[in-house]
Amino acid sequence: MSVTSIRLPGRARGALSARRRRWPTSLVVGVAIVVAAAVLALLGPLLLPDPNHQDLLTAALPPLSAGHPLGTDALGRDVLAWIASSIRISALVAVSVVTVAALVGVAVGLLAGYVGGAFDALLMRLVDLQLAIPPLLLFICAASVVGRSLLVIIVLLAIPSWVPYARVVRTRVLVERERASVAAARLAGASHLGVLVRELLPATRSLVIVLASLQLGWILLWETALSFVGIGVHPPSTSFGYMIAQGRDALAQQWWVVAFPGLVLALLVLASNLIGDGLGEQLDVEVEVTDA
Amino acid sequence: MTRYLLTRLAQGVAVVLGAVAISFLLVNAVGNPVDALGTGAQLTERAHRELIHQYGYDQPLPARFADYLSRLLRGDFGTSFRSEDSALALVLRALPNTFLLILVSVVLAWLIAAPVAIRSVLKRDSRSDRVVRNGLVVIQGVPDFWLALLLVIVFAVTLGWLPAIADGSPSAIVLPMCAIALPLVSTFVRMLRSQLLEVMTSDFVIAMSVRGLSMRKIVLRHVLPNALPPIVTFMALQLGWLLGGTLIVETVFGWPGIGDLAVTATTQTDLPVVEAAIVLTAAAYVLCNLLADLLVVALDPRIRVAGR
Repeated sequence: MSVTSIRLPGRARGALSARRRRWPTSLVVGVAIVVAAAVLALLGPLLLPDPNHQDLLTAALPPLSAGHPLGTDALGRDVLAWIASSIRISALVAVSVVTVAALVGVAVGLLAGYVGGAFDALLMRLVDLQLAIPPLLLFICAASVVGRSLLVIIVLLAIPSWVPYARVVRTRVLVERERASVAAARLAGASHLGVLVRELLPATRSLVIVLASLQLGWILLWETALSFVGIGVHPPSTSFGYMIAQGRDALAQQWWVVAFPGLVLALLVLASNLIGDGLGEQLDVEVEVTDA
Repeated sequence: MTRYLLTRLAQGVAVVLGAVAISFLLVNAVGNPVDALGTGAQLTERAHRELIHQYGYDQPLPARFADYLSRLLRGDFGTSFRSEDSALALVLRALPNTFLLILVSVVLAWLIAAPVAIRSVLKRDSRSDRVVRNGLVVIQGVPDFWLALLLVIVFAVTLGWLPAIADGSPSAIVLPMCAIALPLVSTFVRMLRSQLLEVMTSDFVIAMSVRGLSMRKIVLRHVLPNALPPIVTFMALQLGWLLGGTLIVETVFGWPGIGDLAVTATTQTDLPVVEAAIVLTAAAYVLCNLLADLLVVALDPRIRVAGR
């Protein structure tokens, strides 16, 4: 994911929170989708069959069959149960990756913006490099060498994901460090670390929040894409991508095996975009991101 | 101008070197692939040692990197483990296919996105503008490989109009092109729209509208050309991102591009091909960005005057 444009708050920081009392519609819709997905994911293990349970007697059932509301795949696995379980694992991967990426990216961005010099130059070359190697190509190639456990996938996805945080935080710090309050803090005897943590870090908060919520969607797509081409999450762990890839072999006979997991995935990515846009509106920052 | 281009060239070389280092580390970080074959009836202890020596895995890491670099400089990316072809030839055969697919998809996406963005700017904040923009947010979240499969269900399986896999016929490009282009439309519209709106705040736009030019004419003749240079730069910078989506869609259709090649090479642990794919993709990216720099200079006379 890379940042294409940032708009920063135009007014003083304190005035932001109370400005709008109503939540933007996009935020409401986005949160509603996430809540629905969370309910499905959490109730799944209680109400639905084991997603890995295969039963050829109930194979290839169409949607709305008794006991299988979204049907079963060619091996008799329940599609709804698979979706519920995939939401859990996808959420685990996406949240872990975004957390690691945000922590690393913010730290690097703060340092690069504040220290500048060679460290900053090195960071910018890393940014160039990240843009030049398509993340998916890197993941695909890396998977050939380092295996594909859940932990490996999280680490792999985090490798290019910290860069956008570093970029927006660095840009913000370059502006913020010229403020009189920073000079005043230094004069009052604050250490460099103190300035970084107390003066500069809070200024980047809303940017990081918005970026993180937008990035969740991209990580979801990456994770699923890897699993789709057969080098990501695989059974017994469940992923939308794996089921879509399975359904591909019987596309003409069992369209629902492909259609429903993809639909839920699209809704989740949509929710991430809506929440990102809505939060941006609420916090008055705009981070335009693109990637795949 | 020359100095600017030289700086960009140096940065490009740095990026390619970085890609070389990454591909090397990726392939060498986990020990040598010969060990993974194991020894036994098929591979004697002696043949095992010879293989390790043949591929240079008995050398220390820095020596191997130096050797790798000097091989690359001579254009030798090694031979594919799985076929007798050179890795370079395999990748060079795949790259044009990928770029062709990206090119037609981007053109298609712009053909849809440009009129939508211009209309959105002209009828800003009208009801229809809001509906279109909300629709675009929905499209943006659609996974392209899933869209690709839906297109196959409808147009290849049900209607039988178009081939579902790349069979060499010209019509085989239509479905992958649509699957890549549709999600792009959303991004392109947002990008062009925000660029247009930014240029619209310039004084010359106000001056023109005061002189009685229609808004339509101002946007098409004067605002649009001014919004183009940043978009060319953006497109070149985001080539890696464009490639990302293409890679997965390629595997759906068996399109003989870099994505299909990389996935196959990965599942077969064909390391030379993996290395070549990364390095040459990065090199292609750098080249495209240099071309875009030149194009921007051609599009924006102010840069030439400034002698950047």
